Amino acid sequence: MEERPCAVLLKFPGTNCDAETARALEEVGFVTETLPVSALKPEKLVGVSLIVLSGGFSYGDYVMSGRIASLVTEQKIGKTLGDFRDNGGFILGICNGFQILTQLDLLPSGSLVENASGRFQCQWVTLKNLAPTSPFLTHLPAEFEFPIAHAEGRLVTKDAAEAAGYLSGGAAALTYRDEVNGSFERIAGLQDESGRVLGLMPHPERFLHRQDHYDPDWKSTGEDETRGSGYYFFKSLYEAIKNGEAGQ
Amino acid sequence: MSDSPTLSILDQIAEAPADHYRVLKISDLDGDRLLELSKFMKLSLSREDMLAIQEIYRGWEREPTDVELEVIAQTWSEHCKHRIFGATITHEIDGATETVDSLFKTYIRDVSQRIFDKKPGFVLSAFHDNAGFITLDDNLAVCLKAETHNHPSAIEPYAGANTGLGGVIRDILGAGKGAKPIGSLDVFCFGAPDTSMDQIKATDVIHPLGVMRGVVRGVRDYGNRMGIPTISGAIQFDDSYIYNPLVFCGTAGVIPIKDINKKVEAGMKVISVGGRTGRDGLHGATFSSAALDTESHESDQQAVQIGNPIEEKKAADFVLAARDKGLIGFITDCGAGGYSSAAGEMLETCGGVIDLDQVKLKEPGLVSWEVFISESQERMVLAVNESALPELRKLADLYETELTELGTADGSGILKVTHHGNTVCQLDCSKLHDAPVRKLKARWEKKTGPVDAPILTKPGEALKDLFTDFAIVSREPIIREYDHEVQGNTVLKPLAGASGDAPQDASVLRISGSKRLMSMSVAILPEWGKTDPYAMGAACVDECVRQLVASGADPDRLAILDNFCMGNPDAEEELGALVETVKGIAAAAEAYGAPFVSGKDSFYNYFETEDGPVSIPVTILISGMGIIEDAGHVTGASLRRSDSLLAIIGHTQSALGGSVFARRHEIANAEVPATSLDEAFKCYRQYYEAVKEGLILSAHDVSEGGLAVTLAEAAFSGKAGLEIDLCSLPMDDDASKAAMLFGESPSRLVIEVAPENLQKVATLFEGLPFAALGRATSSHTNLVVEWGKETLINESLTDLKSLWKNGLAQYY
Repeated sequence: MEERPCAVLLKFPGTNCDAETARALEEVGFVTETLPVSALKPEKLVGVSLIVLSGGFSYGDYVMSGRIASLVTEQKIGKTLGDFRDNGGFILGICNGFQILTQLDLLPSGSLVENASGRFQCQWVTLKNLAPTSPFLTHLPAEFEFPIAHAEGRLVTKDAAEAAGYLSGGAAALTYRDEVNGSFERIAGLQDESGRVLGLMPHPERFLHRQDHYDPDWKSTGEDETRGSGYYFFKSLYEAIKNGEAGQ
Repeated sequence: MSDSPTLSILDQIAEAPADHYRVLKISDLDGDRLLELSKFMKLSLSREDMLAIQEIYRGWEREPTDVELEVIAQTWSEHCKHRIFGATITHEIDGATETVDSLFKTYIRDVSQRIFDKKPGFVLSAFHDNAGFITLDDNLAVCLKAETHNHPSAIEPYAGANTGLGGVIRDILGAGKGAKPIGSLDVFCFGAPDTSMDQIKATDVIHPLGVMRGVVRGVRDYGNRMGIPTISGAIQFDDSYIYNPLVFCGTAGVIPIKDINKKVEAGMKVISVGGRTGRDGLHGATFSSAALDTESHESDQQAVQIGNPIEEKKAADFVLAARDKGLIGFITDCGAGGYSSAAGEMLETCGGVIDLDQVKLKEPGLVSWEVFISESQERMVLAVNESALPELRKLADLYETELTELGTADGSGILKVTHHGNTVCQLDCSKLHDAPVRKLKARWEKKTGPVDAPILTKPGEALKDLFTDFAIVSREPIIREYDHEVQGNTVLKPLAGASGDAPQDASVLRISGSKRLMSMSVAILPEWGKTDPYAMGAACVDECVRQLVASGADPDRLAILDNFCMGNPDAEEELGALVETVKGIAAAAEAYGAPFVSGKDSFYNYFETEDGPVSIPVTILISGMGIIEDAGHVTGASLRRSDSLLAIIGHTQSALGGSVFARRHEIANAEVPATSLDEAFKCYRQYYEAVKEGLILSAHDVSEGGLAVTLAEAAFSGKAGLEIDLCSLPMDDDASKAAMLFGESPSRLVIEVAPENLQKVATLFEGLPFAALGRATSSHTNLVVEWGKETLINESLTDLKSLWKNGLAQYY
């Protein structure tokens, strides 16, 4: 039987999107394991193709979002995540996971701070796919919709030039088509230089089915019209990993 | 002047065998002194209750400890025993007298039992557990529970609402052997956001805006952090809620059917999981009725509970993992009464020993009764086999929650509590079930009558005016603060339609592991109850059921909850309104076959101002859940096509009472529409047939604002303009234009169908009130309503939507 790639979902106290993210990964073909951070050790990541930090409020996010989770992770496994990436592993951070990856310096520098509105925002947004060759985005069109749900999703960089550089240099994999939360350059998702680490504020795992869309008459551009764009996000990743492993 | 302060009654009668508990000599006290003791200890027990307790202890030939009195007070509290819903009420209605032997038994339990009997296998548990369960499919069941947190929210809106939601989520975690919370609802009643400060006739009252913002943020911060989508809600604004806002929080859950029944057996270990125990939340149930005095600083500290959703999230992860491994024998949450209620419920028949020395404390120095009744948040109590303890400890470590062994179930039938080597409580709980039955008086007189319908000269202006009313405006600014999509299962969202921001009736959740879905909705109509509480009760059940059915739920697989709030039950007319409301909901529930599976009541929602007490109107929230057979049946409330036809189901009455229109036009005491229950339910069943045949594109219930508002709201999806003619509207002969456009007769649905399907749908409704209303059009974006040759309304939908969207946004 064909071996399926394994994804580990790291779960902190307050992580709360792990179940639906695991469901999404399994639906496209991954084997998943949800790993509470209390049990995290470097050897738990051996043989794993993908590490996912899913959404939620790690440790409540009462101090800067993702901060405590990043400190606990470093305390537990040091720089193992960086090594994991260097050895060909993929890392995905969704919402709070994006915030944590930013704190872990696994993505181009920047901070996710309180939305310009000062509010939590649960709504659907249109995203621009600026990295169509990214392993996470190959099956997605130039523009597509995902839902967001965050209070601290405004990406700020040390100055405007840095954010502009992300846009021109390819680090900004996803941007909001419209003004949403005050992010510099409307950046919604960042990738690292390897292309194997992606962080994004929107929630692909909430849009696996056509019926998840707010408009009952929404039409998919994918080959399976019952699927939502989120399915194709995870499908892209699965295929990239499968093809990569086949090529090795 | 004396140096020593006067000894309190407690100090006068107490013997202190140790410094952490006391024996109280009550056997010789008279009624006055017993009542004084109850008040001093904040037990909320009446003179009759205290005399009954004295009698019980005389029978036992001993005196109670302070811990025991606290336990009995919790057991007999309104919160736990529903003393008023169990009372014998002499009720005078329009001059005739009737006796109600327990509102709960007569109108809630017995009505529901008759429905259970007719639908075997549907309701799996009701009234005795933390929440009632109904069958979803062969393997899974769903449940729903709603509670109020009014007084805490009045005094500290953020923390009050925060812990209100936290508490009801724990109810679900403690339902069966632990249900998974999958969706929440919140319903609020506030004073109007534009209330002027001069209008508030008492000091220390928080302005409605402050209450609203605090409450919304409290719900947001608990629900979002727990990862439970807040999917359903409503807000009512009325001056009578300025002093006493109402905050209803509800949560739904899902559980494997095999895990519903739970049992404590002798030998099981009693453990606590989650947060630690402190002085926060002492006497939470009674503090708000006590006057502030020199001790207020201390008692405030004790009353305000601090929410910590991450603590609860960790406990929730633990509970669900332990349940899936089959490690739980019994579980319940720590709510009102803390460990005393939780352990009391758990050990009431089996009996057992609880050792308070094992309890992990937030601070040292708590005396026995404080440890036992503290309502500190985020604690769950479980009974488990001793052999499961090692694995449970591993799980607790894994999810980073604290597990404490509290004691043992022993089969003695006695609840024994030890602390510092002393037995501080030893009660045979079976002897405590019969709290004295209260005897109350109620009366109600008809308040409504015929009034002249207003002459409607500019219906378009009247419609625009309605779209600025707080009862109708979009709740979008609040809905967007709640994560209503976490868990990835919210199929029909609170705001949806082609534009993503149009109002929906019910919300629908996909259930992981099932092909079936669950619909959830709420209905609350306090304006109706001011003049006709019976009609309010029936109409609330109708609206809740109608919304569930509109969204695609099977009308024969619905269950509802009743949550009552009222002012002073000793005021005969207020209690009379309650009795009439209960009769109204009971009649509707029975006619619709929608049983009550859980409920809760909240009394003493009134405030003493300089001008006398201000009571809230009797308020009933009906929330409901329904089973949707197939994802293809899910039906939204927004217009989908520009070539479709519209039709109405249901009869339009001439009565304008209770409507937003009547309130805005100061039409007082107008007749309130009655609900034709049998006809309405026939319509719902036929509607469901049409849904199953795929004939319905969308359906929106007619509620606040009446038909004109409903039509405009349906078109807020931006898909099309509407051309409507009311000439064949099924209605009373004497219905005025105002009643046709803005009356709020219940049981009506506006449906959208493809032109080729209209005849098929019409055939389904033969003999029932049904009519084609008009069509959607791409040729303009207005709402045009005609009546024969007369154009009643021709308004831009863009303008109407803008009024609707901005009504609340400017205040939140």
